[in-house]
Parts: sequence; structure tokens; C-alpha cells
Amino acid sequence: MFNYRVKALIKRELQEKLLSKAFVLMTLLLPVFMIGIVGVQTLLMNIPSEGNTIEIITYSDTLESKLKDIILEESFVKDSSLIPTIKTLSENDFEKYLDEKENDLLSGQLNGIIFIPKSALKDKKIKYYSKTPKNFRLLEKIDNPINQVLMEQYFSSKNIPMEELEYARKWVDITSFKISEDEDVKEAGYGGLILSYLFSFLLYLSLLMMGSMVMQAVIQEKSNRIVEVLLSSVTSKELMTGKIFGAAITGVLQMSIWLIPVILVASTTWFMIPQEAMIDVTFLQIAYLLFNFFLGLLIFVGLFTMVGSIFENPQDAQSGMWPIMMLVMIPFFISMSMIENPDNPVANIASMAPFSAIIVMPAKMAMVDVSIWKVILSTLVNIATVFAIFPIAGKIFRVGIMSSGRKPKWSEVVKWLKYKY
Amino acid sequence: MIALELKNLSKSFGELKAVDDASFTVPEGSIFGLLGRNGAGKTTTIRMMMNIIMPDSGEIKFRGIEAGPEFNSKVGYLPEERGLYKKMKVLDTLLFFAEIKGKKGKKIRKLAKEYLEKFELTDRMNSKIEDLSKGNQQKVQFISTLLHDPEILILDELFSGLDPINTNLMKDVILDLKTKGKIILFSTHVMSFAEKMCDHIAIIDHGKIKLNGAMNEIKAERSRLNVSLNYDGDISFLQNHPIIKSISNYGNSVGIKVNEEKDIQTLLKLLVDNKIVVKKFDANDISLEEIFIDLVGKEDTEVKHV
Repeated sequence: MFNYRVKALIKRELQEKLLSKAFVLMTLLLPVFMIGIVGVQTLLMNIPSEGNTIEIITYSDTLESKLKDIILEESFVKDSSLIPTIKTLSENDFEKYLDEKENDLLSGQLNGIIFIPKSALKDKKIKYYSKTPKNFRLLEKIDNPINQVLMEQYFSSKNIPMEELEYARKWVDITSFKISEDEDVKEAGYGGLILSYLFSFLLYLSLLMMGSMVMQAVIQEKSNRIVEVLLSSVTSKELMTGKIFGAAITGVLQMSIWLIPVILVASTTWFMIPQEAMIDVTFLQIAYLLFNFFLGLLIFVGLFTMVGSIFENPQDAQSGMWPIMMLVMIPFFISMSMIENPDNPVANIASMAPFSAIIVMPAKMAMVDVSIWKVILSTLVNIATVFAIFPIAGKIFRVGIMSSGRKPKWSEVVKWLKYKY
Repeated sequence: MIALELKNLSKSFGELKAVDDASFTVPEGSIFGLLGRNGAGKTTTIRMMMNIIMPDSGEIKFRGIEAGPEFNSKVGYLPEERGLYKKMKVLDTLLFFAEIKGKKGKKIRKLAKEYLEKFELTDRMNSKIEDLSKGNQQKVQFISTLLHDPEILILDELFSGLDPINTNLMKDVILDLKTKGKIILFSTHVMSFAEKMCDHIAIIDHGKIKLNGAMNEIKAERSRLNVSLNYDGDISFLQNHPIIKSISNYGNSVGIKVNEEKDIQTLLKLLVDNKIVVKKFDANDISLEEIFIDLVGKEDTEVKHV
């Protein structure tokens, strides 16, 4: 399969791709870009919503003073991201007060008014009036202190010792432990989650990118007729093999570069990473990831190459691209769904199914322990997929690459499979 | 001795029979012209030789080898529609095309530079293909078909789009290759080139081979009792004249067939007597164009009033 012709083709592909500006830029900029996106997102989410002024109206003085004790000690009040004014008003007076304040609320001078009626002591139902009542960030901050105050008020009349109250007030604090077969039980951090997210994203991006890059190249070779010169020296199978392996090697190289930071974080102590975000990967796992990615490239670049050979310009190729994009995107979304529940049945099936196993299995492995036979089985499925795709893609490529003129119908493409070649 | 043989080759695209039971042979050491009008089946035939298109039936053999990768490695092929990697440099392009034919190393690099010099491209060695003029791109493509030292050159519409100087350059190279014992097969619809260069031809029309053989034999056979005439004046008086068998108008010249050998002299006398200005009067001669049009252009062969 790898004679001197295929080697020469792969060499040319590598020279062209590795030395291209696009490759260098993409390889260097993607990590920067990703860190940028995560950074911006974190930054945006943590922007203090400056000067959120709210009023908290209670039905009684005692509640008011207790609220003041607790709320004014909260960090969000101290950094003045929330400026509360706490008052006491009877229910009847509140109705009137609300009318008076309507303009302030509409103009945004006042962000909202919380009213704690007497009935709250029975049913804990309080009211929030605002122009933007679904401001969860704000309510999230304020609901806990109010709950605390209501609870204290409720139990104060019931003669319950303070310690008991303290206990009741406490939230459950869950510490997660990851159970694995060969190691001790360890406290699990976010590392696995981050890793899984990262791998899925890189896989998804890389497969689509390399795939469409090769597809463009095939379309171009076809439309500027170089393919006929090539086919006078190499067979179409050799040409296709050269293109796919050229792209796959480039992709793996790029992925290796991207994974260097991960490997360094996992294997050295050069980086100060909080214990809970610690990444736990072995070299064997990295090797598996790269091999799996290589198989993925063979499969998807193969499919993209096939589509590229059918069409003569990128516009027409769009219609052939989306089924393959789906094959990459759906598994990607399944991977993302595992963040909620790594053991969901769809993910279990997808991690073993052709096409999706490429993307779902590594993501799954990063989050839960997958038994080794399952990993081997899914790898075998992937290898089988490669062998199933190549003859089909080869046949279509053979006919497609030399066809020209109008855009072929899908029914015609199916007929190509039956051509005697 | 026969070098390349095509036997009963057929290829259809849907309803269209592009090549229809075509057979011809190309002898060793020949410059062979595959002649036909546009769409006659030349390119399809050549693509089948190169194993780019599979024939529906028939076989192709080169010195006992069937069409396929082994044959291809002995061929220098220039397709009708030229194509090179636009972003690749000239020298890299040449070396790449040699490498997929299995030739690489210092020798090839040196040879590539020699060819570049011959074609006056030495200073463009490291330019990208896209920065070259069309003519220069053609030259690079032509060199790429030669560099791996092929045993047979297959050139589809070699001279299309070349200026006269480059055409001459190519002609010289081809004649030079012939002296080195290479076989050159080219297709064209330009008969004047074929006439000057080919020693063997095949004429293809509607996918069928109409004629195949040595140029001198073909001509000898068809030129008897034929007069190739260039003239000024009105020769309509020759219509229905007893010595005339047929008159064919080929645009540039008129081919007149007479009934007997002695009629040729009578014809010349007739022309002079009728005050026709005779510019060329070739007895027992026929141009390739005349043969071609006789065979292929049925609609043009009717005797017209001239």
C-alpha cells in the first residue's frame, strides 16, 4: 500500500501543509484563542454588576434588624456590587409604597424591591418586584441570607438550642471520590472534566478542520485539472491514500503540539495548579488519544475526500458536507451531555458505535473509568470502520475525480459504486 | 516492430459511444499522430492508455505489458487540459513529478536544471507556478513529462496554445527524442503539424479508427491520379469534364482526381488554356489535410461549384 508513489504523495502533502502559514498560525493561535474564550467568559461572568440597588421591605422591626446584621456582613454588600436598603412597612402601606416607587423601578434607579410578608414565616414565600425580575445572579445572592433570617425567626419561639439551629442551617457539603480499579480511592477534582471538555473540543475542531481542508484541496486539484497528470503516474487509490495519510499525519502532529501543555501539567510540577483541577493522565492514555485521533482522521478525512471528489466547486460540495458534519457534531454533543451524567445510556452506546466512538470514547475515559476491553473493542470498531470506508470512498473517488461538467445527482453517485474498476 | 498495440477498444459514456471498437498499432521509434476532429475520441483513447479511464472492452499492450501502473511509469504524459500545483515552486514541481514516477536524487535534480536551462527557465527555478506566464507554465509541464526519461511520450494536443517560437522548441526536442529511440505519440487536429512531424498516423472519427499506417504508404496509395492545386480564377468549366473523376475543395487547396495517368497533362493544359493562374500544381501528391477531410469530413467532400 505504501509504495514510492504513495510516499512521494504523502511527502508533498506534508511539505505543503506543515510549511503553510495557515498551519503554523492555527497551531499556535488555537490554544491562545481557547484560553482567550474561557478567560473572557469567566471574566464576563464575574463582572460585578455595579451598583445594584435593591430595597428589602419586611413586615417587622425585629426581622429588619436581623436582616441588617446578616446581609450587611455579606461580601457582595461589602464590595458594593449590591446595595440593599432594609426597611419595615406594613402590608397595606407596602402597596402604596410600591406605587410611589414605580417610576424609580422603571427608570432603573432602583433595581428591585423584595417584600417579606408575615405569611413568609409559614410558607417562606416572598415577593420580588423589578423591571427585570429574572435576575438570577442577584436573587441567588440574597435568598440564602433571607432564608437564614426567616429560619431563626421561626425557631426562636420554639425553644430550640442554638447548636441544633446551626446544624439545620448548614448546607450539605459533597466531596467527590473517584473509584478506579487499580488505584486508591482519590478525591476527584475538576481535572477530568476539564480534560474531557478539552479533548472533545479539540477532536471536533480538528476533524472538521482537517477534513474540510483536504476536501478543498481535492476540489481544487480536480478543478485545475492537475488530477489527470497525477493519475497518469499514480492510481486513484494511491492518490487518495496519500492525501488522507498526509492529512492524518499533519493532524496528529498538530494535536501533539496542542497536548504538550497537558502532558507537562500532568507529568511535571512546573505549573502551580490547584489540587482540585489536577489532571490525571498517563502517557499510555495520551498515546491512546493520539492513535484514536489518527483513526478518526482516517475515517473523516476519508469521507471528506470522497465528497470533494464528487463536486467541482466548494458551493456544490456544501450539500455533500453536511451529512459528514453531522457525524462529527452529534457525537460532540453527546460528549458534552456527559458532563451532566457521564454514564448516560446514549453516551454508552455512542462510545461503541462506528463514527461516534472516535469522539465519545476519549471524552468518556477522561471522566469515568472505562474497562480496558471496552476501549479495545471501540478501537476495533474504529479500525473496522476505516476498512469499511476505504473501498467505498475509493470507488467514488475513482469515478468522481475524473467526472466533470454538471453536478452529479446522488443517485448517480450510488451508481458509481457499481462501476467496473 | 510494433511497440504499442490497441485492440478492439470500446468506451461508452451513457448513450454516447466515445470510442467504438478502435484498434491501431504504433511501431518502435516512430512519431505517431492520432488525428481527429474535436470530440472524435482522441482524449478518451489516450486516457484509456493511461489507465485513467477503464475501457468497457478491448486491450492495450506496450511491449507486452498491459496498461496499468507499470506501463504508466514508462510514459511521459501531457494531458490536454494542463494542470500544475499553483503554489509549488518550479523546481519542486519537476522533482515531485519525477518522484512519483520513481526517479529521484542528485541526477534528476541536475537533469531538471539542464532542462530548465534549455527552456530558458533557469531564473524562474524558485518561482511559484502561479507567477509564471501561461507559456512558461506549459514549458514546465512539458519538462515534467520528460524528466523521468520515459520510453514513450503521450502528448494530448501538444501544440495547443503555444506561440511559434515555443512550438519550434518543442518540435526540436521531440525530434531529438526520436533520435534517442523514444516513441512519441501525440494527438492533434492540426494537420499541418502532423504532416511535418509524423511518420505514422491513425485517424479517428466518431470513436472509430478510419485509417492507420505509415504516412508515406498512406500518401502513396491515395495520391495516384490526384492533383493538388492552388490557383486564381474560375475552374467551373472542369465540372463534368470527361477527364475529371472528382473535385474536392479543401479551402486552401483543391484536390482533383483524374481518370487516367495521361489526363494529368491534359488537365494542366486545360488550366493554362483557360487562363487560370496556377500557383501550385502537384501531380500524384496529396496533403494529409486532403486525406483527413476525405475520410472524416463527409459533408465537405461533395463536389462543389468552384
